[in-house]
Amino acid sequence: MAQGASFPYEEVAEIGGGAYGTVYKARDTESGKFVALKSVRVQTDQDGLPISTVREVALLKRLEQFDHPNVVRLMDVCAIQRTDSETKVTLVFEHVDQDLKTYLEKAPAPGLSQDRIKDLMRQLLCGLGFLHSNRVMHRDLKPENVLVTSGGQVKLADFGLARIYSCHMALTPVVVTLWYRPPEVLLGSSYATPVDIWSTGCIFAEMFRRKPLFCGESEMDQLGKIFQVIGLPSEEEWPKDVTITRKQFLPPNHPPITNFVPELSEQGAELLLEMLTFDPLQRISALNALEHEYLKEEETADTEGSTREGDAIP
Amino acid sequence: MLHPSLLPLLLKKVAAVVWGGNSWSSAVIMARTGFCDSKPLLDLHKKAEERRPALRAWANSSEPKDRRHPPEGEEPRRGQKVEPECKWERRLPVSIKEGNITGYYESDLTAWVGLSYELLYHQGLESLLRREVEKAMEKLDLTWDRACAWDMFEHMMKNQYRNAFASAELPRPFTDTTRAVLVDWLIQVHEMLHFQDETLYLAISLMNRGLRQIKVSTVNLQLLGVVCLFLAAKKEECLVPEVSELCYLMDNGYTKKQLLRMERRVLSGLQFDLSHCSPLDFLLFTASIARCSAKVVWMARYLLELSLLEGECVVYLPMQLAGAVLCLARRVLQEPPTPDGDAAWCIASIIYIGSETTLLRIMHILAGAAAKAHGQENRGTFVKYSSALTMHVSSHPVLQNVSCLLPAYLKWPESLVVLASHEKIAEAWVPQRLDEDLKL
Repeated sequence: MAQGASFPYEEVAEIGGGAYGTVYKARDTESGKFVALKSVRVQTDQDGLPISTVREVALLKRLEQFDHPNVVRLMDVCAIQRTDSETKVTLVFEHVDQDLKTYLEKAPAPGLSQDRIKDLMRQLLCGLGFLHSNRVMHRDLKPENVLVTSGGQVKLADFGLARIYSCHMALTPVVVTLWYRPPEVLLGSSYATPVDIWSTGCIFAEMFRRKPLFCGESEMDQLGKIFQVIGLPSEEEWPKDVTITRKQFLPPNHPPITNFVPELSEQGAELLLEMLTFDPLQRISALNALEHEYLKEEETADTEGSTREGDAIP
Repeated sequence: MLHPSLLPLLLKKVAAVVWGGNSWSSAVIMARTGFCDSKPLLDLHKKAEERRPALRAWANSSEPKDRRHPPEGEEPRRGQKVEPECKWERRLPVSIKEGNITGYYESDLTAWVGLSYELLYHQGLESLLRREVEKAMEKLDLTWDRACAWDMFEHMMKNQYRNAFASAELPRPFTDTTRAVLVDWLIQVHEMLHFQDETLYLAISLMNRGLRQIKVSTVNLQLLGVVCLFLAAKKEECLVPEVSELCYLMDNGYTKKQLLRMERRVLSGLQFDLSHCSPLDFLLFTASIARCSAKVVWMARYLLELSLLEGECVVYLPMQLAGAVLCLARRVLQEPPTPDGDAAWCIASIIYIGSETTLLRIMHILAGAAAKAHGQENRGTFVKYSSALTMHVSSHPVLQNVSCLLPAYLKWPESLVVLASHEKIAEAWVPQRLDEDLKL
């Protein structure tokens, strides 16, 4: 890695081969604090840095001004030229030790309490609502990039990166998990911010189950698994502009959602189904989800609820 | 629609809503500096009874006969909080908070306005200001959803503090003169490339930051300017010039490689932060609320563009520059006043921040700049604004000696007293104020 006086970070460890390249944990040599470094190599032709990179990174910087509590801090950006035709742009994010995946794995036996789940969901939706109202979509939301600080604060990471990377790294053979992808993406239809709500729904279910809701092995398999839970959409709902046809799936008689997420309350199930709505235009928005009865419910009432349910589980 | 004598009161009330107290001085300032000229300052002689209904009526746009009794469901309730929906923790003081209302009660203004109607006024006027702000934001495409308009406005108001510099001083060896030469050249290049005005303001803002944050030699000053324009175009424009074209514009004095290296330096130096709170947005926004005529807006735009050339202007907030150019444009054009126009002007003045001294100082700087531009026909801005499209504003004869229309700002010792209270108002927006006034 090209490092100079202008790049005051020393790598400590590799923390993940993310879909878009390696992420490093590094130390800020000035403050001693840990940071997460994410680099992207962009092709710089004769006109300098691509417009899309300039705009997307500037957008991430602009989001910083709002200082949103549920969004990971972007602390620094460096542009270093590697060759005549390539510049490495490094984004320096605050480092949070734990993601939701490990948080769920580490949770003691009966799993998270109802209260805790509600709190995490509120924070997640709050961060997402903020991004969406600033026209940023995440596109790759999954437990690995929902960070949870030691104080229990949720911070979304890796948002907006999808667009920065995809423009210039379309050819990289990456394996991206399908499990949190909404039907419109799997079907190859057009998509927008509702993709993140679908992923949030999957994560919501996973908080109860402590294992993913839909673990498809291929795109068709993933769609099949989805329809087993939400039912096969009607012919009218099926998007017109896709090659995969509805007939390719068996119309299963799907059991109620609570079979898959047993501890879910009635209102919780309602919210989950609104998030896992097949038609992206009908899917609930982040801000509306925050207003949902399930999340608005008084803390005290559901504390009792969760203890009772907690007791019920051996 | 509204009786003219109520304007000052209205102004005062809404200012109280927005800033929480201390509105007295702002009303005085607005009146003094022409923000609500041609109207009596404060109408203290009317009975409170007479004032209340009309004010309420206007605020809620209800029929005159409804005056005495507020419509159902709008009963004034003490302690009722009018809070816009919170998406996350709200830290801005624009919305009515308990503290502000309490602060207001404690001020001496309560003496002459009936207490019982206070909250009703607050609600009515806040919604009035809100509606105006939302309409203007939508009209100017500053928001994509009316529901977000007020949030965006609050963000704009808060964010503008990032744009002003603590000091107008430039790092050596640069002077305001060298800077002005560069800005003038950039304005001409910008015009030649048919970019939008937004791009110019962004480019100059990047250049101002670049000059202070990146070490550049005199030789590379022009390169820095061009790169800032190039980056602004990348951010704002659909069509971006080629690097070779830019090099050609600089007589090939620099290589493409040098330009691209400077681009990386600027991006890293500015941390890719290309956000900008444009004074032009504030100008068009304020003018839209104030229902200014097209000619006043063009005149104000001309004066605002001249402010780019004045190194001293970098210490002022976009809102202050916008307010000052609108005041000055009105002074220059002297359009006959209309009651509706004056009412709108007063509403617009509510969102102005800062002291009368600041406003006058900016007006004086720009009056000087306009007179200077008249003498030098080669100035890009002057030429640009002398066209028919811009209603020939730059060649308006009054601009040759507009300073004489303005009061000399140092003559008023009480302005310093006003200043003290305004510092508080400013703090309400953001704790670290960058106001030059204290250095007077």
